[in-house]
Amino acid sequence: MRALSIAATGMQAQQTNVEVIANNLANMNTTGYKQQRAQFQDLLYQNIEQPGSQTSDSGTLLPSGIQLGAGVRTASVYRITTQGDLQSTSNPYDLAIQGEGYFRVTQPDGTDAFTRAGNFALSPSGQIVTDKGYVVAPGIAVPATATSVAINAQGQVQATIPTQSAPQTLGQLELDRFPNDSGLNAQGDNLFLETASSGAPQAGVPGAAGYGTIQQGYLETSNVNPVEEITSLITAQRAYEMNSKVVTAANEMLQTTNTMGSG
Amino acid sequence: MDNTLLIGLSQQVASYNSMDVIANNLANVSTPGFRRESTKFEEYISRAQPGEGEKGPQSISLVQDAGTMRDMTGGRIEMTKAPYDIALNGKGYFVVQTANGPRYTRNGHFTLDSGGRLVTGDGDPVQGDGGDITVSPDDGIPHVAQDGTVTGLKGQLAKLQIVQFDSDTQLVKQGSSLFATTQPAQPATAATLEQGAIESSNVEPVIEISHMIEIMRAYQATAALTQSQEDLKRAAIDKIASTQN
Repeated sequence: MRALSIAATGMQAQQTNVEVIANNLANMNTTGYKQQRAQFQDLLYQNIEQPGSQTSDSGTLLPSGIQLGAGVRTASVYRITTQGDLQSTSNPYDLAIQGEGYFRVTQPDGTDAFTRAGNFALSPSGQIVTDKGYVVAPGIAVPATATSVAINAQGQVQATIPTQSAPQTLGQLELDRFPNDSGLNAQGDNLFLETASSGAPQAGVPGAAGYGTIQQGYLETSNVNPVEEITSLITAQRAYEMNSKVVTAANEMLQTTNTMGSG
Repeated sequence: MDNTLLIGLSQQVASYNSMDVIANNLANVSTPGFRRESTKFEEYISRAQPGEGEKGPQSISLVQDAGTMRDMTGGRIEMTKAPYDIALNGKGYFVVQTANGPRYTRNGHFTLDSGGRLVTGDGDPVQGDGGDITVSPDDGIPHVAQDGTVTGLKGQLAKLQIVQFDSDTQLVKQGSSLFATTQPAQPATAATLEQGAIESSNVEPVIEISHMIEIMRAYQATAALTQSQEDLKRAAIDKIASTQN
């Protein structure tokens, strides 16, 4: 009896769905988090009678064959990379990207990772680093004597130093964008890695065509909409229940079969 | 075996198939663009030997599968806000170029690949009027109009190819939300597109669950009929055996 295993694929799919929703809700307040969504596809079909096959020599066709499905599978869990809201923090090293692009950070092993979570700070040597201490490209050092640091929309970092009348330019922040940013590999700690499906990063200056701008003193909140998630959660739970009903019904039919002729 | 058993058996085999189809519908309740199916049965007349006291040839009716009907009504449109999720409203299919030739789908969850091509979740390119559709990062997030025109920041990129067929029921399901057919594809006339949304499956849980209960009860009723037929036979054998003693 296929119904049992078909219903099992359905329950498994809904379980994945609930897990994805749970992760979204858990990351509701994670800086730069992007909502994820599970996407499903039907499994292969067994063709018992092929639709459109001939039923006679005179060319009459079978209007609808017999195709029995085998259930459902999770095809992908994809990220919805819409802009999150900007939240004011008034911390000079909190940077939000408004629009396309990722900050590039150098991991301890020397490889690059990408993030939209701009909650940066200064390292002991004065460099702009992430909350894990990874250097934000291209590695801008702020002198200890600086009284304030201003980062403009184009990513230019300028420091006010008491002995100088004009602000000193320290460097230029860069953004990277990808042909397909939903193909990035999420690494945890708000970091993403380049993959074959994301394509190679293309570095650029904030504010240039196709790149976002930088907002100093703001953080990008997650784009998770709790109302939406809770609604999806209810739908997923009900779908799970329905599939479990199929298991019960199929089981009851099998039981009937087992007791036939034993009276 | 006697005919009552055979008739009962044909009904029970049919019930099993219906149950599988309903299980598949319910498993795909969250599959975008999925179309619900239902089984259709027909009578199969079989000649039977005349019973005692009956004259002339007798016939019995068995049940057999006639086909799986596909319900082609549209599903609900569900907002996802993902820029490459495109819901298809009305009759029509997206065209996808796979390794095995063109396939058709109503599952409008697409994404870009590393080269910026618009592809399905399995990485097969979605076809526009001029073949593959490529979106470069300079185009920003393109806008998909109701008629399928894809426009980026630098002007029109392509037009999504939406096709329809003379007979929807003759499309063969391939799994992975794809359909195959040998019918010639014609441009769809009554389809509109909606960006940032997905067409959900058209499975109605209430209908499926009530059908499921109905089938289960019918199955049990047939089992009970078979049982009482058995009892009848056993009683008859007992009676005949006891009169001989």
